[in-house]
Amino acid sequence: MAKNTLTPTENSILRKMFMNSGMVFVTFTMTKMEANGFTMMMQPALDVLYKDDPEGRKVALRRHNQFFNTHAVLFSFIAGLTFALEKQKVENGSIDDETIQNIKVALMGPTAGMGDAFFFNCVRVIAAGVGIGLCEQGNILGTLLFIALYGGSQLVARWYLLKIGYSMGTSFIDTMFESGLMDALTKAASILGMVMVGAMVASQVNVNLAWNISVGDTTVIVNDIVNSIMPGILSIALVFGLMKLIKKGQKPSTLVIGILIGSIVLAFFGIF
Amino acid sequence: MVQSALIVAFVYWLIMAVDYLIAWQTLTRPIVVAPVTGLFLGDLHTGIIMGASLEAIFMGISAIGGSVPADATSSSILAVAFTILSGADVETGLAIAMPIGTLMASFKSMTTPIYAALSPYWEELAASGNMKSFRIQTIAFQLTLANITGVLILFFSVAYGTTALESLLASMPGFVTRGLAAASSMMTGVGYAILLSMLWTKEVGGFFFVGYVLAKYLGMDSLSIAILGAVIAITSFMNEKRYIDLKNSLSSKGAAAAANDEEDFF
Repeated sequence: MAKNTLTPTENSILRKMFMNSGMVFVTFTMTKMEANGFTMMMQPALDVLYKDDPEGRKVALRRHNQFFNTHAVLFSFIAGLTFALEKQKVENGSIDDETIQNIKVALMGPTAGMGDAFFFNCVRVIAAGVGIGLCEQGNILGTLLFIALYGGSQLVARWYLLKIGYSMGTSFIDTMFESGLMDALTKAASILGMVMVGAMVASQVNVNLAWNISVGDTTVIVNDIVNSIMPGILSIALVFGLMKLIKKGQKPSTLVIGILIGSIVLAFFGIF
Repeated sequence: MVQSALIVAFVYWLIMAVDYLIAWQTLTRPIVVAPVTGLFLGDLHTGIIMGASLEAIFMGISAIGGSVPADATSSSILAVAFTILSGADVETGLAIAMPIGTLMASFKSMTTPIYAALSPYWEELAASGNMKSFRIQTIAFQLTLANITGVLILFFSVAYGTTALESLLASMPGFVTRGLAAASSMMTGVGYAILLSMLWTKEVGGFFFVGYVLAKYLGMDSLSIAILGAVIAITSFMNEKRYIDLKNSLSSKGAAAAANDEEDFF
């Protein structure tokens, strides 16, 4: 994977992408999380790839402004890989939009888990251990060491992960394309993507009712009854209902505002 | 007190701005925040010492999955500020600062849906292709409005004490607070619905429920679900590969056989 050397153009794109890798959390929203960061990170690559195709560039920019969430460091790996995928798409059309989206989604969950385990629970704890020891004696070096160890390691890791992501993507996709396994790969990626989306909906989308019906002396807690059918059935209903509406052509902005107003109105009647 | 409050709010703004623009999640840690607050309030030494104990306290509290039990950054800033400004000991400063985490969480759950409502605007802006404007607007937003709640809460906490904020929160009509809190946890649903509408096919759609059941019923974390998901995906890949190989070998055998026939014939 390290055998293929990068051309100067590729190198300069990767360098520009690296410069944007700090934008991960800029304008983080609950709806799309790191989407804006991803768009900005992909921009240098898309600018070059779609130089002669302004419409294609706009479509690609929209494609990378979709829901995205992972660890800030492993983010670079996926961005590098996506660069390779976009390049394949432009150069020989061997990849379609859905495959790119599927691979991105499939990688979000695993990379988030790995990033948290390695950087948050390991590097940070070690760096803090070193830093606390020095700071206890009133030595500012503790703070500086913490920044250098925890922040510095992330910076270095980002650059290498970006490059690894790109070269892995290139060689991997080449092999897949040559052996005609692209369809098999797309299907595998969408299976993993689906599993991860299901898991993330289960843990991140919550619909809790505060609705109690009093019949005589007994009080019925509606939330418990609904959840006894299937835990979190309302969140599934919400997501699939929204999906139906989107497929019917409803704009996401309408849905977001609808949820906002609907929640307050329902809360007024004591349902939320 | 207003002057100190301004300094404290500025420290919070500065740390959040810089850390969000480099995405290190490093500068927001107590061990960095406390000395910086100390430096700006003129007592670096107390800041460093408190940084050590605050980092040790918040070390175990992780923010995985977006739910922050206590806001380490604002609690640390306040704890250091109270200790330096009132001359109290570290424990008292910390005890006064702890409710700020809950306050932050309550106020932020109200602003979250408002920020979420902006995401369609960002998408249209990205799709317009004018990335220069996209970049300027997102960064400007990040530097000003994104952390305005935190900045204001810290300012008022130091200037008027946290009790004033708590009574403000209590004076809000309950249904507004509850409605906004409910909306903010449903907002993520819109993002996932957009994703699903792009990815859903009959063939793989059922796997959504595999992930759902593993997470909801069995309570597994994302890495372990990812490992199982990868096993299913690899199995499917191998299966498909077998068919494709078979198809390839059949067609090449057929071609080879045809070529042999021709050679024999001549």
